[in-house]
Amino acid sequence: MEATIDFIKTIIDNLNGIGFPFLVFFIGILEVTFGLYRNKWPKNERWVDISCFILPRLVIQPLVAYYSLHFLPFISPDAKNVFSWVPFFWGFAIIAVADDLTQYWYHRLHHQIPWLWRFHRTHHSASYMGMAMASRQNIIYTIFFSQIYLTAALVYLGLGIPAIAVRAIKSTITTLAHSSIPWDKPFYKYKVLHPIAWVLERLISTPATHHAHHAATTDDGVGHYKGNFGNMFFLWDILFGTALISRKYPSAYGISHYEGDQWTAQLLWPIFKSKVEGSELAPNGPVVRVEDDYEALARREANKEKKETVKQQSAAVPVLSNN
Amino acid sequence: MKVEKATKDQITRNVIVSLFIYILPIAAMFITFLITGQRPWEKKTQHLENTKTITSKNSQNNGSND
Repeated sequence: MEATIDFIKTIIDNLNGIGFPFLVFFIGILEVTFGLYRNKWPKNERWVDISCFILPRLVIQPLVAYYSLHFLPFISPDAKNVFSWVPFFWGFAIIAVADDLTQYWYHRLHHQIPWLWRFHRTHHSASYMGMAMASRQNIIYTIFFSQIYLTAALVYLGLGIPAIAVRAIKSTITTLAHSSIPWDKPFYKYKVLHPIAWVLERLISTPATHHAHHAATTDDGVGHYKGNFGNMFFLWDILFGTALISRKYPSAYGISHYEGDQWTAQLLWPIFKSKVEGSELAPNGPVVRVEDDYEALARREANKEKKETVKQQSAAVPVLSNN
Repeated sequence: MKVEKATKDQITRNVIVSLFIYILPIAAMFITFLITGQRPWEKKTQHLENTKTITSKNSQNNGSND
């Protein structure tokens, strides 16, 4: 029996190590294949996404290793494996609630407390959804992210297997909720699946509810960046009245007044500031900038499309003249 | 820039509810143990005592398995 548990533990450990980057990579390939990034991934945004994916990992991995191997044994040497008697089911339930509810609050407060907003703004500045932007965060938001330390502490206390199982399920749900592949659409389309959809969209984060959180607009019946804060469980939003379920996907994502702040400012604010005048990340920028109205947003989107069309036409001209 | 009063009140109310939610699965676990009579923490203590006898410092054969 112990050999079987050890075997399962090894599989979970390995999946936990390589599983998340593999999942992101695999879904990313699918998104590119389906052309979901066409004309949506400008050079500046590419730098933001790639640097936010790689650089924080270089800082956080050694930090977590130090925390697990030195800090926890130093502050509490007798606590190692103290809760290893907790049955898997209960360990899973306790950790799932503790982990995800804490993250719900961490996320919600970054939206509702004005001075915290700039640490989370980078995640919302992307005008597209998908694997490219899923890890896009300011480094300070990532460093203080409770989940990493909580999981490490629970492993130390002897709840390693349920903690890793929760992390694997949570990573899958949150990754799929950020994906530009609307896997939940069939549940809304076919009447026979409606009861499952009803439960699903209230229990976990789906692309429809999480995309609404990333919408460029709010209070229009679809976009809802003032709510839908849940990561693994959407239940918290239902319970606390911050949910909006529309079963629709927003037409525009991001921040309506976003003008492409440099990747250094987006990743490392307040160490590096933005050169974009009036930006929330600029030296004298506002703590929270009031959203532009819908007309301004529509104008900006139209201008962007116009620019892209002109670019494509001018790129095509030399080819035609050569023929 | 300050947090609006309505938002502040909502946060306070929801934080209080959250504290109960955090405790809920732990309370449910102990209630289940109480009903079923399970005491898994005792098993762990026994297991530790059993493993103690095979360490080299307290075994009769001075750490040798022969």
